[in-house]
Amino acid sequence: MERTDTRVPLGTGIGWRPEIADGIEALPGIDWVEVVAENVCPGHLPDSLLRLRARGTTVIPHGVSLGLGGAERPAPERLTALAERVEALGAPLVTEHIAFVRAGGTPARTPRMEAGHLLPVPRTRDALDVLCENVRIAQDALPVPLALENIAALVNWPDEEMTEGRFLAELVERTGVRLLIDVANLHTNHVNRGEDPAVALDELPLEALAYVHVAGGVERDGVWHDSHAHPVTRPVLEVLAQLSARTAPPGVLLERDENFPPVAELAGELATIGAVLGGAGADGAADGAASRDAAARTPREAVRHG
Amino acid sequence: MADARETTASAAVDSTEAARERLGLAQAGLLAALVAGAPAPAGFDRERLAVQSRALTRKRADVVAKVAPELPVILGEEGFRSLFSGYARGRPMTGGYRRDALDFAAHVLAAGGTGDRRARGKLRRWWLERSGPVPVPEGRLRRRLHLLLARGPSARASGTD
Repeated sequence: MERTDTRVPLGTGIGWRPEIADGIEALPGIDWVEVVAENVCPGHLPDSLLRLRARGTTVIPHGVSLGLGGAERPAPERLTALAERVEALGAPLVTEHIAFVRAGGTPARTPRMEAGHLLPVPRTRDALDVLCENVRIAQDALPVPLALENIAALVNWPDEEMTEGRFLAELVERTGVRLLIDVANLHTNHVNRGEDPAVALDELPLEALAYVHVAGGVERDGVWHDSHAHPVTRPVLEVLAQLSARTAPPGVLLERDENFPPVAELAGELATIGAVLGGAGADGAADGAASRDAAARTPREAVRHG
Repeated sequence: MADARETTASAAVDSTEAARERLGLAQAGLLAALVAGAPAPAGFDRERLAVQSRALTRKRADVVAKVAPELPVILGEEGFRSLFSGYARGRPMTGGYRRDALDFAAHVLAAGGTGDRRARGKLRRWWLERSGPVPVPEGRLRRRLHLLLARGPSARASGTD
C-alpha cells in the first residue's frame, strides 16, 4: 500500500463547540479547530466557523457515526455527507474512529440498534479484515486523507488476538490510513484494561501520526471515564510526554465537550500541553496546571456522572 | 487463467463476508446486552457491561437534552434523568435523537410518570406541538382549541413499546 509522506502540519488546536465558539475566536495561538462532522451542515456553517476559516484557521471535520469497525460496509450516504463537509470546510484531512456504533438488523436476526456512542472493536483477525475493507471503501469516497482514532473502552472483548498497538500497526500497514492518537484514551485503556500506554506507543507506527487528542476525564471506583468534562489530569499529560519523547506530533488538540470552564482555563490547559510537547515533561508542566485546577470551580459533571 | 483469478477474487470476498457475519453476530450480542436488556454474552465482565450501559444511557440523555432542551426544564433536571433512564432501559435507539425525544415524551405521558399535573400539561403540549401531522395553529384561542381537541399520545406510545 503506497503511503505518501505528506504530513499536514497543524500546530495547536481545540475542539470547536457552539458553547465556546466566542471564547475560541478570542483565544490567541489557535492554529486549527476540529468540528464534529455530524453537527455542521455544509450550506449553513456557523458564522463563528466561517470567521475562523476567513482568518486562516484550519477546520477539520471529525466524524462519529460512520462505524468503520462495524460488521457492515460504511453507508454511501454517510460517506457522501462526510465528503461534503470536507469540501465545505476546505479541510486537508478528515478523521473518524476505530469503533462500531450500531449493530443488529437482518444479518444478526435482531432489531437494528444504535449505540449512540463509540464501542470497541474486538482485536481479532475477523474484525481487522472487515475494518481494513471498510477503511478502503471510505478512503475511496473521501477527497482527502483519512485518519482514525483509538477509542476509550469500558468493556473488554474476550478472546482478543492482538494488542492495541499490533492491531493499529497492521491496520496502517494494510490501508495506509493515518492515526489520530488520543492520549487520554491510552490512559483510559491503562486504567480500565490494564494496558500499558508505553507498550502501545512502542508498537504504534508513529510515522502515520496525523495528530494527537488530549482530554480530561475522571476515575470512579477504579474505572476511568473519558468524560471530556473535567480538566486534563497529570496521568494523561504523562502519556503525552511519552508520545512526544518518541515523535513530534504534527498537531495537538484539546477536547472539551461538557461543563465548559471559562476560556482562560482552556488557554491554561493548552499552555500546559504546549509545555509538555516543548519537553517540560508532565511534572514540570502539571505544576502550573495544579495551581490552576485549585482555582477552578468544582465541575458539576462530577456530581451528575456520579 | 481468468478462471483462477476469478476464483481467488471471489474467495477473498467470501472470506470477508464470513468475517462480517461472525463480527455482526458478536457486535449485535454485545449491543443488545448494553441497550436492549439482553443477557450478557459469554466472556464479558457483567459489572463493566453495566457501567458501559449506564454510560450510553447518560450520553443518550445528554444528546436528547441538547436537541430538546425544553424536556429537562419541564421535568426538572433530576426528573428528566431518572425518567429517561427508565424509558431507555430495554428500548434501544433506532432512529435519530429528535425521534428519541418524542418517543420519550410519549412514553412518560402514557405511563403517567411525571406525577405533577402542570408538568404533565406542559409535556403534553410540547409533544403535541411536535408530533402531530397538523401544525399547532397560531393565536391563543385557536391553539387552545386545537390542543384540547387533539388526541393524547397514548395510542402512539403503545406502538413504540
